[in-house]
Amino acid sequence: MNYTKQIQDIAAKLFAEGKIDVFVGYRVNGFDDNQVPALITDPQDVPKLVFTDKSVFNLVNYLKSEHTRRKRVGLVVKGCDSRSLNLMLTESQVKRENLYVIGICCEGVVDETGQKMQNCVECAVPDAVVSDELLGTPMSGSLTLTYRVNADIAKLSEMPLTERAAYFEEVFENCIRCNACRHSCPLCYCAKCCIDQETATLYNGANTTSSAFHALMTWSLHLAGRCVDCRNCEKACPSHLPLHLLHKQNESVIYENFQEHLAGVIPEDRGAFYKYSLKDPDDFIM
Amino acid sequence: MSFSTFVTDKPGLQKFYEAVLASHETYAPAEKFGKFDFKLVSRISECDPESPIAKTQSIKPLFFPRSAKVMKYVATSAGTDVSEVDEDPLAVKRIIIGAKHCDARSLQVLDKVYNWDYIDTDYQKRRENTVIISTRCDKADTHCFCTSLDYDVENLDAMDVLVVNGAEGKIYLRARTEKGETFLKENFSQQLAVGSEQSEVGSRHSAEEEMKKQYAAFAESFRLKMNYKEVNERLSKIFDTPEFEKVSANCVSCNTCAFICPTCHCFKISDEKVKDTGLRYKSYDSCNNGYFTLMAGGHNPRPAKYRRWRQRAMHKFVYYKERFGENLCVGCGKCTIACPVNISIFEVVNQVASAGIQE
Amino acid sequence: MEAEVKDQLVSIEKPELIAPPDWEPVIMGILCNWCSYAGSDLTGTSRIQYPPNIRIIRVPCSSRVDPWFLIKSLQTTADGVLVSGCHPGDCHYISGNYYARRRFLVTKKLLNFVGFHENRIQFSWVSAAEGPKFAKVVIKVTDDIKKLGPLHLYKKENFEKK
Repeated sequence: MNYTKQIQDIAAKLFAEGKIDVFVGYRVNGFDDNQVPALITDPQDVPKLVFTDKSVFNLVNYLKSEHTRRKRVGLVVKGCDSRSLNLMLTESQVKRENLYVIGICCEGVVDETGQKMQNCVECAVPDAVVSDELLGTPMSGSLTLTYRVNADIAKLSEMPLTERAAYFEEVFENCIRCNACRHSCPLCYCAKCCIDQETATLYNGANTTSSAFHALMTWSLHLAGRCVDCRNCEKACPSHLPLHLLHKQNESVIYENFQEHLAGVIPEDRGAFYKYSLKDPDDFIM
Repeated sequence: MSFSTFVTDKPGLQKFYEAVLASHETYAPAEKFGKFDFKLVSRISECDPESPIAKTQSIKPLFFPRSAKVMKYVATSAGTDVSEVDEDPLAVKRIIIGAKHCDARSLQVLDKVYNWDYIDTDYQKRRENTVIISTRCDKADTHCFCTSLDYDVENLDAMDVLVVNGAEGKIYLRARTEKGETFLKENFSQQLAVGSEQSEVGSRHSAEEEMKKQYAAFAESFRLKMNYKEVNERLSKIFDTPEFEKVSANCVSCNTCAFICPTCHCFKISDEKVKDTGLRYKSYDSCNNGYFTLMAGGHNPRPAKYRRWRQRAMHKFVYYKERFGENLCVGCGKCTIACPVNISIFEVVNQVASAGIQE
Repeated sequence: MEAEVKDQLVSIEKPELIAPPDWEPVIMGILCNWCSYAGSDLTGTSRIQYPPNIRIIRVPCSSRVDPWFLIKSLQTTADGVLVSGCHPGDCHYISGNYYARRRFLVTKKLLNFVGFHENRIQFSWVSAAEGPKFAKVVIKVTDDIKKLGPLHLYKKENFEKK
């Protein structure tokens, strides 16, 4: 998967036609062959742009940045990124007419060790669902795109309750409450987060196991039915916590019980919690 | 005053660590989710004193905890009762093993600010009661640049005992302070020493040479090198350069850099309460936070991301130096590794400084 | 017999922690104003007895219940939570309980996933006319939670039960 040439051409053309003010893509980070995001405002920097299977970070996160606000933006999105973009559009966070979206039919990206990322192995929507220009061959036809339950979720669900509780206690204990997960998530765009309070409340930013539990549970429930599994949060976590577990658990419950589409796949679809069906499971209620 | 050097080998060092772990309250890097953090351990199998620097959190939380209780309060009809919190668990006599040079240096830098206009007694107590056993790195990591900065990596006063891997599997244990000297004398049993050089002053010269050689090899392994004085001088003159906007464009303001930095010491005060009973905490905060400088009236003197980044870079390389004569950055590279978009403070200051020349 | 009872009084999530012998569970009951709260009222006026372990909070609708409420109460006083609302189709606001139902399932499964026993978070539909049913529900929930023992997971530090 290498679309470096095409993306450079498109970006140069967009700048030449004056269609965009800033282009958000990837560049090589300068010390190894991994890539970092590049926000380009000068057409001269266009040759720096690259796109390979190391283009990992979800660039939709930059649409909440001051560098792109009220500007016309060119943007590269993979399958998962495009779903989060779709949600941001639905939730009126960005204007479609200000965006020029280059969609990628993604074949999966690799992590630092060169292994294909787990979310890419289990990916159900590799093609960009929103784009002005689509690069690559759409795979929806050739692949059977079925939802696959995350391997970690399946393993943990079979564990006895006490072991699972002990495992998660370790997770929450190692959280250092830096909130990097929240800041790197494209869908956490609230100007003021409900877990940062100015007045005295139950929890207020101290770093204890119970406050980490409180913050991460609240965070994951606010993203339930919206998380697109791009794993920006996990990449940002300085303690390497398996944060995807919480999201994948919610996703699997929603998918299996409500027969909803994955978040952000359908335009104008606001996610599982904004609608209901009379056939929703009722057996857990007395 | 001269301090003694002890010579041992790998199994000897292991045995020494085991003895320390058994007899003292010891903090060492313990692995969780592929990341090492300094935790209270009781067995050598639970920890790895030679953990890779890129994956290890700093020892700052052992002196400046991520969250410390300041006080308790109870609101009653007669008024508010304020009471002291329980005893500080970090102020007991303890040993830290597996610290690195940059960790030791960070404490030296932090000492300045904690002994400044207000003496932080909690911090002082924690410092006094701790013996730090520091391991010299054999090789620099991708993002390390400690040798490029204004301190002598070889001779730091903050570590009490220095462990150096010498040639032929020899390991030198060298006391660097009186605290370290007494600790080593009390705890290092002569049976662990190897070779004819029975750990006494006679062997000191050969040990010193060996350590020098090892240091030269270590200093050569650095990928990042800079002229610190020049960078420092230029930075102090170019506050208004637009370059800061360029270097900070990538930043997602996630605060990770400040939370894992061994020298960042900004904190916030927050109250947590249930009904009428509350606890006041002092927890980490970061200048990269949008609301870090937000005032009660709604005014924010640093609303833009580049201003916050400028503050971070300048505080590390200019302001702290002006005030305390030390550089706040210790060159450990931990922020670059933790950063989700790999912004390197090394690149930032160099890029800004070199832009200063062009102008 | 006595020994058996004592054996039961451990926390299901943390079996190493033994409950004090006179331990009684605290259950947070969050009831919808229009059906379940009226139903609980009817239970009282009909003189039907139910365990006093439940502490009732009245909310306008079961969809007013933010999952945050459940997390907060489990982290402070409660050993278990009961949320009750109108039967499907009976919602005073037409569809509130349908939205709530989805949220409840996800919250319950997530809390169970991170280590809470599923019986600690319970839901019921109780109408204003179902006084006896409300008593039955509370008896069942109290029994369930008594079997699970006190909750020790992620309790707010320094929080003293009163």
